[in-house]
Formats: sequence, structure tokens, C-alpha cells
Amino acid sequence: MTVLRFDKVSKQYPGGHVALADVDFAVEAGEMLFVTGHSGAGKSTLLKLIQLAERPSRGAVVFGERNLLKVRGGRIAHHRRNVGVVYQNHQLLMDRSVAENVALPLVLRGMKRGEIGKRVRSILDRLGLAARERALPSQLSAGEQQRIGIARAVIAEPAMLIADEPTGNLDPTLSAEIMALFASLPERGTSVLVASHDLGLVKRMRKRVLVLDHGKLVDDISPEDLADE
Amino acid sequence: MSERTPKLHSSRFGAWLDHHGYSIVASLGRLLRKPWATLLTVGVMAVALALPLGLWVVLGNMARLGGEVRQSRDIAIFLKQDIDVAKAQAIAETLRGRSDVAKVELVTPPQALEQLRARPDLAAAIDALGAEQAQAALPSVLRVGPRGDELLLADSLKTLPEAERVQHDAVWRQRLDAWLRFGGRAVLVLAALLGLGALLVVGNTVRLDIQSRREEIGVLQLLGASDGFVRRPFLYLGAWYGLAAGALALGVLTAAWAALRQPLADLAAEYGSSFALRGLDPVSAICVLVGAGLLGWLGAGFVTGHYLRQTRPVER
Repeated sequence: MTVLRFDKVSKQYPGGHVALADVDFAVEAGEMLFVTGHSGAGKSTLLKLIQLAERPSRGAVVFGERNLLKVRGGRIAHHRRNVGVVYQNHQLLMDRSVAENVALPLVLRGMKRGEIGKRVRSILDRLGLAARERALPSQLSAGEQQRIGIARAVIAEPAMLIADEPTGNLDPTLSAEIMALFASLPERGTSVLVASHDLGLVKRMRKRVLVLDHGKLVDDISPEDLADE
Repeated sequence: MSERTPKLHSSRFGAWLDHHGYSIVASLGRLLRKPWATLLTVGVMAVALALPLGLWVVLGNMARLGGEVRQSRDIAIFLKQDIDVAKAQAIAETLRGRSDVAKVELVTPPQALEQLRARPDLAAAIDALGAEQAQAALPSVLRVGPRGDELLLADSLKTLPEAERVQHDAVWRQRLDAWLRFGGRAVLVLAALLGLGALLVVGNTVRLDIQSRREEIGVLQLLGASDGFVRRPFLYLGAWYGLAAGALALGVLTAAWAALRQPLADLAAEYGSSFALRGLDPVSAICVLVGAGLLGWLGAGFVTGHYLRQTRPVER
């Protein structure tokens, strides 16, 4: 089952800069893949189109069965609840505790307080952060903050998780740990799309890789081809 | 693909109430964490509210005073000096027979002298002049209560051959009415201008708060926060500002009322009046608080609405 489809998607920003040009690809349910390319290749724009932070200039982004062009007003927020996002700089709310940060997607979905508490404790336990439940993000290490960001992104079991350079600030050991965590998500039915310019890391993961160059999708490498390389 | 929702049971209304509760407490907390900035904003708003409110209260008191004056619609006829009491009684009797006259009261020179003696500022002068001489100088006076149009009656009474002078303060009262009408309109205009000012003050304060929390709002939006979810804490923030400003404005007015009430009552007593300064009644005070809260809510609503429109993805 296809979760996400880009049909000849182009994005041109005001001023004329073309960030994406005729990009075509599809992501299946439970698939993990990478998007890679140099800085300015269009990785972040691609993620923004999925989140509906931007709209394409041409073509269609189809999420599930819905063309995102037709998603407007209050439905935008509704769509975003179905896409978990992990950022390089974590984007945690610094004046709220670890548990409150992780609970946000469930609060936004209108879940009962008691049930939110159960889910938060469960996921923090899974990620080895149960003891830090009441800590503020500023009291955590970079690796712990990133794990909190991931916990927040996946707690509501979104159909898709997207991550923008999630290991950018982490050392190799922590990066591998975070990637292993991502790799475990498809088993639970969540598709994972990771944007990274770290080719070494991407190759080690042996997953499908989309290569962007100046906004064009120049290669779509399967895990098997990657293994051959 | 069907949208995946948490498998646990959810209560949207309960969560909505939860977030309202959280927004109310959190926005109040934000105000209290910045006491000086809050005090400045609330102070400016309170002045903007207190000015028209104060004028409104003053006008209300003036209208009440005018009402008391209006109630004394009597027309005073000062009879000629050579008209004796018997003749004056006869004229009074004739007037009582007229359809446009409700009542006639005769004040004879001895009665007038007694009334003048009752006034402490004149008693000494009368004693110095001599009671007989003072009485001789006083004419008989007819106080005529009108039935219907008092202006027509006053004009008619002026034609009486026995009348030396007819006193009627209609022109003064008409002028007072005109001033009160003008004052009422001026208060409305001032209230509209200063209310707009208060709205802009709240709007600007909330705008600054939004700017300082842009990242947090951005994160919430990308996590799927609805416009209502983002807007709610700011709306409560605006309402708190408005409520606090309304309460401060009421406090200022009450203090002014307490300071002026007694001296004004003393002044009125000197003129033989029991006029007392009135402040805002409880219902009006509650209306002021609710109105000020709504004003704050509205100002915050405009600004957050504008911000949220700006952050929506551009349609192609």
C-alpha cells in the first residue's frame, strides 16, 4: 500500500529559485528510505511539502489517498498529526518537561489525560528515558534530547515519520543508536523517510536511497543495489 | 489508506476543556512572571478605560443634578410693591382657577423675611438692616406650579398688570440639557477612540508575545496544532489584560469617588441641597469588567488571527 506519492512535483520559490523539479517517487507502508544530496539539493523542501509547510508549484503530493493540494484550513493541522517529524535541532519546548513534550501529539489529538500518561511512560520506558520524565530538555544530553524528539514524533503512531538530518549533531555511536531506533519503526507499520547528507551513514543502513541534485531526483537506489555498490 | 488514530478512547470535549483550563492558568502565569511589563500594559489600558468611564460617571451625576433642577419647574411672580397681601391672595385665587396652573403658593413679605432669616449668611444682614425696613422692601411672591407647557404659562404670566417681574429658569435648563446631550455624545466618541487605543495596546502586547514564542508556535503547528489550539492561550492572555485593566480603572474611579464624595456633599449642603456624588453601581461595574475582558480578547484575537493567516502555506 502506498503511503506517499510525488507526481512530477516542482517547487519554485518567489524570486525564481527552483528547489525541486519534476520529482517522482512513491513510499510504501512500513518502508524506510533516505533522501540524500548536497546542501541546497532540495531535501528540506521535499520534507516541507510532505508536512504541508509549503505547497508545490506544479505536480501533486498524494498522502494516502489524499492530494495535499486539496487540504486547506483546519485540515492542514489534521494532516500534520499523521506525519511525525524529527528535527536536527530537536525543536523541543524548553519550558515544558520531557513528559509534556512527548505528550503533545496526543494532547493535540484530544486524548484523555490518564491515557496520555500511560502512553508517555510506555514510550519513555522503551527509549530508556523513564527516569528523565520530569526533567526539562535543557537538563538532557544531545542524544537524550534527540530520543525525546523521536518519542514525540512516534507516540501517536503516525502513518509516516520524516526526519531532517536527525544525526547532524550527534557522535557516530549515538547516530547509529538513533538510526537503529528508526529502523525498528517500520515493524510497527510506520514508514520512515530520513533526509541526510551523511553518505557513510546512509550506506551503512542499507535502505532505499533517493538522491537529489539541484532539485532533481537523479537516482533511486534500492537496498539491493546499495549492497552491490 | 485510512488515517491512523490512537487506539485508546479519546474524549474531545474533555480534552478541549482541559486545554481551556491549561490556557487560562498558563496565560495568567505568563502575566505574573513579567509583573512590570504587565503593570505597564494594564496601566495604559486602565487609563484609556478610566477616562471615558470617569466622564460617564460625571455626566450621570450632572444629569441627576439637572433632573433635580428640572423638578423645580415653579414660576415665581414678584408682585408690585404696592400690592398688599389681600390683593395678592385675590390674584392667587384667580390663578388657581386657570387650567394651565397646577398650584399657586403665596409667599407674603413676613414669610419671605422668615425664609431669609433661616439662611445664616443673610440673618446678620437683616438684623443690621432692621426687620421692619427689610420686610417693607420685600414684595409678595406667587409661586406658580405649571400644568403643561411652562414656557407658555410664563409668557402669559408676564402680561399680568400686577406682576413686577416673572422669574423662570427655562433657558438655563435648556442649555444644561443641551450640554448634557453634547457631553453624552462626547463620552461616546472618546470611549470609542480610547477603546480602540486599548484594543491596539493589547494587540501590540500580544503581538510581541507571539514574536517571542514564534519557534514554539511553529513546532506546535508542525505537530498538528489547530489554529484554535495555538490561538487559545493568547486569547486568554488578552482577556486577562482587559480584566486587569478594567479592575484597575474601576479602582481608580472608586478612589476618585471616595476622595470627592464628602467635599461635594458639604458644598451641596451649603446650597441647601442633599445632592450626593454617585459612583458606578455594581451592575455597571460588572459590565465594565466584562467589556474590558472582551476588548482584550478581541485585540488578541485580531493579532493571532493575522499571525496564523501569515503562517499558512501559500496557495499556488
